[in-house]
Amino acid sequence: MSSKENCRNELRTAIRQLSDRCLHPAAKWAAEQLVGIEQDPAKFTPANTRFQRGSSSIRRRFRTNEIASATPLTPIAGVSYVSTPVMEEDEAVDNDFYLLGKTYFDCREYRRAAHTLRDQTAKKSVFLRNYALFLAGEKRKEEESIELTGLGNSEPTNCELVTIEIELSTLRKNGTIDPFGLYLYGIVLKEKGNQNLARMVLVESVNCYPWNWSAWSELQALCSTPEILSSLSLSNHWMKDFFLASAYQELKMHNESLAKYEYLQGTFSFSNYVQAQIAQVQYSLREFEQVEVIFEELLRNDPYRVEDMDMYSNVLYAKECFSALSYLAHRVFMTDKYRPESCCIIANYYSLKGQHEKAVTYFKRALKLNKNYLTAWTLMGHEYVEMKNTPAAVDAYRRAVDINPRDYRAWYGLGQAYEVMGMPFYALHYFKKSVFLQSNDARLWIAMAQCYETDQLQMLEEAIKCYKRAASCGDKEAIALQQLAKLHRELGRFEEAAFYYKKDLERMEAEEREAQNMVEALSFLAEHCREMKRYEEAEVYCARLMDYGGPEKETAKNILRGIRGDTSLPSMDVDHFRP
Amino acid sequence: MAAAGAFGVTPHKVSVCVLLQMYAPPAQAEPLFSVSQHNHLGLYLLAITKSHGDFLEPKLADLLTQLKDISGSLGDWLIEHLTNRLSSLSSPDDLAVLFSEFRGTLGGTESAVIEDNQVVLDPNSYLGMFVRRCVLAFNLLSFEGVCHLLTNIGNYCKEALSSCLPYELHGLDDSVNDLETSSAYENMDLENFVFQKVTEEIVANKQASQRNSFHLHTSKALSGLVEDVEIVAGSLYNHAGNSGETCSSSDTIASGTRGADTSGNMFLRTTSQLQGFFMEQADAIEKHGCSFPLNGFEVILNRIKNLAPELHRVHFLHYLTCLYHDDYFGALENLQRFFDYSVGIGGFDITPVPSQSKGFERYETGLLCLGMLQFHFGHPKQALEVLTEAVRVSQQQSNDSCLAYTLATICTLSSEMGSSSTSGLLGTSYSHTATIGTSLYFKQQLFVLLREALKRAESLSLKRLIASNHLAMAKFDLMNVQRPLLSFGPKASIKLRTCPITVCKELRSCLHLVSEYASESPTMTIEGAFSTAWLNNLRSPMGASVLSLDNGVVESSNAFQFCAQPSSIPRSVLQLVGSSYLVRATAWEIYGSATLARVNSFVFATCYLDASSSSDAALVHAKLIQHLATFQGYKDAFSALKVAEEKFLSISRPVILLLKLQLLHERALHRGNLKLALQLCNELGVLASPFNGVDNQLKIEASMRHARTLLAAKQYRQASEVAQSLFCLCYQFNMQVENASVLLLLAEIHKKSGNAVLGLPYALASLSFCQSFNLDLLEASAKVTLAELWLSLGTNHAKRALTLLHGAFPMVLGHGGLELRARARLIEAQCYLCDPSYSVVEDSEIVLDALKQASDEFEVLEYPRNGSGSFLLDGSGLRQAGTGGGKRRSFSFIQETHTGS
Repeated sequence: MSSKENCRNELRTAIRQLSDRCLHPAAKWAAEQLVGIEQDPAKFTPANTRFQRGSSSIRRRFRTNEIASATPLTPIAGVSYVSTPVMEEDEAVDNDFYLLGKTYFDCREYRRAAHTLRDQTAKKSVFLRNYALFLAGEKRKEEESIELTGLGNSEPTNCELVTIEIELSTLRKNGTIDPFGLYLYGIVLKEKGNQNLARMVLVESVNCYPWNWSAWSELQALCSTPEILSSLSLSNHWMKDFFLASAYQELKMHNESLAKYEYLQGTFSFSNYVQAQIAQVQYSLREFEQVEVIFEELLRNDPYRVEDMDMYSNVLYAKECFSALSYLAHRVFMTDKYRPESCCIIANYYSLKGQHEKAVTYFKRALKLNKNYLTAWTLMGHEYVEMKNTPAAVDAYRRAVDINPRDYRAWYGLGQAYEVMGMPFYALHYFKKSVFLQSNDARLWIAMAQCYETDQLQMLEEAIKCYKRAASCGDKEAIALQQLAKLHRELGRFEEAAFYYKKDLERMEAEEREAQNMVEALSFLAEHCREMKRYEEAEVYCARLMDYGGPEKETAKNILRGIRGDTSLPSMDVDHFRP
Repeated sequence: MAAAGAFGVTPHKVSVCVLLQMYAPPAQAEPLFSVSQHNHLGLYLLAITKSHGDFLEPKLADLLTQLKDISGSLGDWLIEHLTNRLSSLSSPDDLAVLFSEFRGTLGGTESAVIEDNQVVLDPNSYLGMFVRRCVLAFNLLSFEGVCHLLTNIGNYCKEALSSCLPYELHGLDDSVNDLETSSAYENMDLENFVFQKVTEEIVANKQASQRNSFHLHTSKALSGLVEDVEIVAGSLYNHAGNSGETCSSSDTIASGTRGADTSGNMFLRTTSQLQGFFMEQADAIEKHGCSFPLNGFEVILNRIKNLAPELHRVHFLHYLTCLYHDDYFGALENLQRFFDYSVGIGGFDITPVPSQSKGFERYETGLLCLGMLQFHFGHPKQALEVLTEAVRVSQQQSNDSCLAYTLATICTLSSEMGSSSTSGLLGTSYSHTATIGTSLYFKQQLFVLLREALKRAESLSLKRLIASNHLAMAKFDLMNVQRPLLSFGPKASIKLRTCPITVCKELRSCLHLVSEYASESPTMTIEGAFSTAWLNNLRSPMGASVLSLDNGVVESSNAFQFCAQPSSIPRSVLQLVGSSYLVRATAWEIYGSATLARVNSFVFATCYLDASSSSDAALVHAKLIQHLATFQGYKDAFSALKVAEEKFLSISRPVILLLKLQLLHERALHRGNLKLALQLCNELGVLASPFNGVDNQLKIEASMRHARTLLAAKQYRQASEVAQSLFCLCYQFNMQVENASVLLLLAEIHKKSGNAVLGLPYALASLSFCQSFNLDLLEASAKVTLAELWLSLGTNHAKRALTLLHGAFPMVLGHGGLELRARARLIEAQCYLCDPSYSVVEDSEIVLDALKQASDEFEVLEYPRNGSGSFLLDGSGLRQAGTGGGKRRSFSFIQETHTGS
C-alpha cells in the first residue's frame, strides 16, 4: 500500500471530484474509507483517536500489533501498486451554468439540470448533463413501473439510454471521454444488455480513475464467474483490493475474501465498510458469534446505520434473541422505515415471534421497495412454508432463484417445499442444486439424505452417501452419525453400524449430551459385541446401560446374563448335568 | 395482478375500434360500401382480432397495407379516415370523446329504433364484445394511463407516417426528430442483427445437417457409393430441397423479429391470441424437431418474457425447444421453472384459456412431463422413478386424468425399454434379474397395466388417450403371445399364438377417434388458426400455390390449408390416426403381407404426412424405400433414398441414415464386397446408444448384420458366436419376434458350414416361433431354409424338401422379396435335379423356368455370386437334358457366367 498519507490525499481529492460530478454514493464511500484510515498515533493525541473511535481500544491495540508484525505497508506477494496520478481538472474556475446545473441536480431536478447544461462543452458539464439525463430516465422508469401496473404488461425501460449511448460512444471514439463518462457509458451498456462491452468500458474507467467505487461495484456485478474475474486486466491500485475482496465474496470464495479484507483492515482499520464486509463473510461461514460482535461494535460507532443490518437481524434470529431483535427493529424503524432492510428486519422479528402473516406483509413491503431483494424472497418463502402455503412458497423461492441462481438457500427451500408436498424425487433435483452450490453445509446433505430415506423412495444407499458427506462436513446436530448407524443396522451391516454408533457415542460423551440415542447406541453395541464374542467390551456397555432405568436396565441384565452363559458355557453344562 | 394478463387498451386496438366504427357507422352517415366490400371488411376485422400468427400487435403501416389489399379502391378512403382520426387525437379529452363514440356503435338491447340500412354491432357478438372490452378497459384507466395511451398512439402514428413522408416530419421538429431517427437507426441495426442471426442459423443448420449426414470417417466413400447409382438427382436437389422444410418455421421467426423495437412501442396481443401463438409454435417445434431454429426463437421468447413476465407458458415453449435440440439441462431447467411458477400462482395461468381446464398445470403434470423428458433423453430408470411419483401424487390429489396419462406413459416406456432394464422397478422386487420368469411376469404386468390404463381412459372419456392406448395395446398384441393370466384348470386351453384379429380390432377402435372429432364443433384455437391462415393468404395468395408446385407434398398440404375450409379435426388427432396407420403397416410387415404394408404406408404418406411429426414422416419414407429395395432392387431404392434424404435433410437423421446404411450393407453383401459390408454394419452399431437396454432394436439389427457378413465371409465359427450372443440378448429382453429370425440365421449358418443336421433344430425352432407369432413371411423363408437343409442331407430327402417348398410357395411368391423368391426357385430346381425319379430329358422346362426366374431376380439384386450359381445350375440342368440344342444353350450360359463374374 502506497502509504496511509498517500491514500488519504488521494481520497480527499477524489471525494471532491466525485461530489463535483454528483456521484454521491461513490463520494460517500470514499469519505467513509478516508475516515476509516487509522490516524498516526504519533501525530494525534489519544483523545483525538478516542474521539474517532469510541471503545474497543484493547481490540485495536491488539490488532495494530498484529498488523505491525505482518508488515502491512508492503503489498501481498510483492505486488507494487501503480500510482495513478490524481486527475487534473480541466478548468480552474467553474462555469456559471455548471454551478446552476449542479444545484438543480442536487435538488433532484434532473431534467432541469440537463437542460441548463445543454450547450456546455467542458467535460465535467458534459458528464453531469448525461448523468442527469440518465437519472431522469431512471426516475421516470420507476414512476412508470407504478403507473403501468394497470396498463400494458411491458417492463418499463429507461428511455434516455439510447441518447446517452449515442453521445458517449461518439465521445469515446473521439477519445475525449473521461473516466466518469466511461463509467456512465458502462452502466448504459449494462442496462442495454451488452455485457462484454460494458465490462471493457468499466475496466477502462477504473484503470484511469480507480477511486470511483460505483464503477467498481458495477464491474463486480458483471463478474459472474471466477473465469471472467481473472480475465479482467486491471492495473494494481489499492482500490483493486477492495474490488477483489467484494468479488470473491460474491463468488463464494469466502476465505480468499476474508484474507483480502483482513489485509485491507491494516490500513483502513476504522472503516465501517470493511468491518461490515468482514461480518458478511463470517456470516457466510456461519460464524455467528463473530458476526454479532462485529455488529455490536458497528452499531456503537454508527448507530444510524441501516445498511447490512438485515444480516445482523438474521444472526439475531438464528440465535433467537427476541429483545435484541426487537430493539434493532425499533432502531432502524426510527431511522428510516422505508428501507427494504428495515422492513426485512421487522419481518424477521415477527417471524421469530411466530406471527407469520405479519412477517409476510413486511417482506412484501420490502419487495415493493426493491423487487430484486434476494433475501426477502427467500425468507418470504420460508414464511409461506411455515404457513403451509406451499405453492406460494414455491413461487417465492423460484423468484429468488431466478434473480440469483447461486442462492443455495432458495434451492434448498424449493426442495423442502416439494418434499412437503410428497414429491421427494422431484425435490431431489433441487437439493442437488443446493448442495452443489454449498457443498460444505451439513444441513443440506442431511436434508437430501432424508429425502432419499422417505418411504416413497427408500434409496438407502444414496441416503448413506449423503449422511457420510454430512458427517464429514461437521454436522452440528449430530444427526448424520446416528442416522448412519441406524441405516447400516437396518441394512444388516452390523460392523459399520457398530462403528458409527461408537462414533456417535464418543461424540455424545464429548458434548455431554444424554439422550435416548445414548441408550439405543449402548444397547446395540452391547448386543453386537456379545454376538461378535467380544465379551469384555459388551460388559462395559452393559454396565453403562445399567445406569438407565426402565426397560433398558432389563435388557442390559439379559445381555449380561447371556454373556455369562456364553462365557461359562462348559461350566454351565457341568452344572446342568449335575443332577 | 388482475391487470397484468387483462385486456389493455393499445393503439392497435384503438385503430381496430375506429375501423369498427366505420364498419358500423352511426345512423346519420350514408352507407359507403357495397355489400361485398362491407362483408369483406367485417371478415377482416374478425380475423385481425383472432389471428395468432405473431405475438406482437401489428404496426400501423402493416395494418394500412392490409387494408389496401382487402378493400381495393375503398382502401384509400379507409386509410385516410383512420390516419386522420388517429392523428387528430391531441389531448386526453379527445380520447375520452373517441371512446364514448365507440360506445355508440353498439346497439343497445332496448335502444329504440334501428333504421333499415343502419348496421349495428350486436353487443354480444364477438366484435361487439371486443368494443365493449376496449371501452371498459379505457374507463378503468387512470389519468396517467390515458396519457400513456396518448403518447403511444402518437408514436404509433409517427412510425407509420415517417415511413411514408419522412421529409415533412423533418421540418416539423428538429431536436426530437434527431433522436427519433437515430433511434430508428438503432432499431434497424437490431432488426438486421436478429434477422442475420436467424438466417445464419438456418444456414448453419443446413451445413450441420450436411456435415452430419455422415459424421463417420467413411463419409466420402459412402456417399460415393450412392453417387454412382444416381448422380443426376444429386445436384438438382442440393439447393432446392431444404427450403421447403425450413421456410415455414423461419417465416414465423421472421415475423416475430420484425417489430424489434427498443422503445416502448411494443404491445403483445391479447392473451387468447398469444396462447394460440404458443400452441402453434409448440406444434411447429414438434413437427420440425431439431431443424426448428433455436436461437432465433429464443430471442422471441425472451422478448415475450420481458413484455409479459406473468405468461409462464413461455418457459414451457423454451423447454420444448431445448428438448428437441437435445439440450438436457436447458430443458430440465425450463420445465421446472415453468411448473414452479405456474403452480405458485395457484395452479393455472392467471389468464385461463377457454380450451384449457383450469387446474391443468399441477404438480403431478409437472412430474409427468419430467418423466417424459427423462424418457426422451434415454434415462429409463429416472423416468420410471418420476412417473411412479406422478402416479402417487395424482392418486393423492385424485387427479384421474393425469393418472390415466401417467399410466399410458409408463406403458410406452416399459414396452419400449424392454423388460430387463425396468422389471426391477415395475415390480416390487429388486432381487430378480432377467430370468425368464421375471420377463414373463413383466410382460404380464405390462399387459395388466395396459388394460388398466385403457379402462381408466375410457371411464374418463379422454378420447385421444383412449386411442393412443388402443394403439399401445395393438403394439403389445402384435409382439406378444397372450397367455391367460391364470393358466391352470381343465378349461384353460393354451394356444400360444398371437392374435392378429385383436390387433386389427385395436387399430380400428383407434380410428373411431376421427369420426368423433369430425362431428364436434371447431374449437377456439382452430378458428384462430383459420384467421391466421386467412390473413397470411391475404398477403400472398399466389405465392402459396407457386410454392406448392415447387416443393411437392409438404407444401401442397399447406396450400390445402390456405384455400380450403379448415378441417375441424385437431392436428393431434390426425397425428394419432396417422400413427395408427404406421402401426398397421408395421403389423402387416410382420405378418408378412407386403402389399397391405405398402398400402398402409401410402395411406399415411398421402393423408397424414402434414399432420405428423417429422420423425414419423421419415419413418414412413424409410418403410417405403425398404419396400422398394426388396421388391424392385437397389437402383430404384437408392434414387428414392436420395429424394428422402433431401427432404429430411436436417431432421430425424437417424432414421434415414439407418436406412441408408441398411441398404448399402445389403447391397455390399450381395455384391460380395465383404470388407465394406463389415465396415457398414460396424457403423450401424455405432449409432446405438452404449447403455444397456436402450436402443435394443438397433443393436440387434447391427449384430444380425454382423453375423450375416461373417457368414458371407465363410467365417462360420465367428458368425455363429455372434448369432448365439444375439440370441441371448433377445432372450434376455424377451424379444421373441427377433428370436425367430435369429434362430433362422443360426440355421443358415449351420447349413452353410455343411452341418445340416445341426441346422435342422434351429430351423424348426424358428418355424415354431414364426407360427406362434403369425410371422407368415418369415415362416415361409424358414420353410425354404428347411427345404435346403433337407436337401443337403441327401438326395433321398429331395421329395420332402420339394413338398415343403411347394407349401411355402404361395406366401413366397405372393409377398416375398426378390431375394427370397429367387432362392426358392433355385432350391426348387435343385430339388428336381436331385430327385432320382425326375428326369431332365422328359421335363426340362420346369427346371429351366425356375432357373430363369431365379437368375432374373438375382440380376436385379446385383447378385454376382448367386447369380452365377444359378447360371451354373442352369447349364448343368441343360447338359443333363442332353439334347443337342440344350448343349449349345448350356455352353452359352456358362460362357455368360464367366464373363459376368
